[in-house]
Amino acid sequence: MLSIWKRELQGYFFTPVGYVFMGVFLTLSSVIFFLTIMQSRSSDLLSFIGTMSYLWMLLCPVLTMRLLAEEKQKRTDQLLLTSPVSLPGIVLGKYLAAVTVMALTVLLTGLFVLIVAIYGQVYSGELVVGYLGFLLQGCAFIAMDLFISGCTSNQVTAVVAAFGANFVLWMLDLIQSAINIDWVNGLLSFFSLYERSEPFLMGQFSFASVGYDISFAAAFILLTIHQMDARRYRGA
Amino acid sequence: MIELKGVTKRYGTVEAIRDISFTAPKGQIVGLLGQNGAGKTTTLNILTGYMPPTAGQVLVDGMDMLTHARDCKRAIGYLPEKPPLYDEMTVHSYLRFVCELKEVDRKTIPAHVDEVMTICGLQEVAQRLIGHLSKGYRQRVGVAQALCGDPPVLVLDEPTVGLDPRQVVEIRALIKSLGQNHTIIFSSHLLSEIQQLCQRVIILHRGKLIREASMDALTNAGDALMLQASIKGRQQELLPALRSLPCVRRVKPLKQSVPGITEVSIECERNTSPDAQTAIFRLLCAMDAPIMQLRIEHDTLEDAFLRATASE
Repeated sequence: MLSIWKRELQGYFFTPVGYVFMGVFLTLSSVIFFLTIMQSRSSDLLSFIGTMSYLWMLLCPVLTMRLLAEEKQKRTDQLLLTSPVSLPGIVLGKYLAAVTVMALTVLLTGLFVLIVAIYGQVYSGELVVGYLGFLLQGCAFIAMDLFISGCTSNQVTAVVAAFGANFVLWMLDLIQSAINIDWVNGLLSFFSLYERSEPFLMGQFSFASVGYDISFAAAFILLTIHQMDARRYRGA
Repeated sequence: MIELKGVTKRYGTVEAIRDISFTAPKGQIVGLLGQNGAGKTTTLNILTGYMPPTAGQVLVDGMDMLTHARDCKRAIGYLPEKPPLYDEMTVHSYLRFVCELKEVDRKTIPAHVDEVMTICGLQEVAQRLIGHLSKGYRQRVGVAQALCGDPPVLVLDEPTVGLDPRQVVEIRALIKSLGQNHTIIFSSHLLSEIQQLCQRVIILHRGKLIREASMDALTNAGDALMLQASIKGRQQELLPALRSLPCVRRVKPLKQSVPGITEVSIECERNTSPDAQTAIFRLLCAMDAPIMQLRIEHDTLEDAFLRATASE
């Protein structure tokens, strides 16, 4: 698993993918920083984080698109699957590599926090909770997009499908407001990753949301493993 | 070393291979022969644990591939039809990665990578990106990758396809030298290649195993000994004389290319006393008809293959 993680991590920076992800993420987040913090002369980092979390929807597919789809396209999965590495090891190694790049990028947004700390007031408690929710949300998105990458053998399909799925997840909130059936609303809000992150953005630590994000990610990782195993049996 | 027992693979409703059983004994080079679509790649993919069979069993050193996947996979190095290479890596870092995957002891990895690169002649491209290499080099990196971790069994799927003639010769020489201390299973649709390299041949046809035999048994089928001779002398005198020998069954004159030299193909009994060659030599000596050339005509693998596939 460790060797897979290392190779994928190097892969992100041997190819433009890692730089594109980091570059676009940081550019967009500095625009958001300008709009939410600088222009309104506020030190409300939670609303900055809340707006940044929409970037996951847009950018996580970039991180995940090649992870499994490319292996199948280039038939390099033949190396992995005939090596003494287990299927969960392969999937987890790849997942953690994507999470590492994401976490590194988030770490760099610490610069924005530093700026606010110099010119204003930072409440460390709510900042930690905000970032925790932000990271967990990213982990959940990456897990779902990894699953989608595992379903196809083409990177373009993977990225478009993942973007679509993320978009639907985001729209759950909108769909909710358009439907007036209670149980449907309950169901939709249960699955909404954005609604789940609301407590964090108010500076509250929520066990329910942490649990939800982690189980959301775990479920998709398990699905990915299962899906790849089934594919081996089918021989497709 | 490797044993397949009644292996069947279905892709949906299509049956790719049916009830294939064979053994690859330790230290032999086994050739898997068949036309395109005969099921060679499917067989190898199952053999290496890339995909499980629909029915049947794969045993590596007596261990079942399904239950002891990790140990089985460690014992096999696999070069698939398309070498599984990451274009964005250098040859050196790629081989390092494969060594890590194959659980080579961390301390010995640098030395091992060097050794594998030397065997495959990759030293001069060690720091090049795999994506920039020519096809021949890519194939060699593929072979090197299979050698990582020093597995006792090598499985090579059409290792010489698409290479230029010189590279083909090189890869064949490499396989031959590796065959001295590895069990090798390799597939090919080139009869001459199998004939050159293998000790055992397995012929697949439309997903079924139709012949498994040692190369000698396959190419020396039947009890007839076929000889071809060039003799100085006149055909009218030589043919009746040869036909009069008790060990000779049939004599067929061949096209004459040099005036005064008769070319014939002689079908003799095997295991006569004196043997057919001696009898012919004595006869021709007595006739004062010098033998310019006499050789045993081996049944080619091609004949054997055509015979095997025609009877299906």
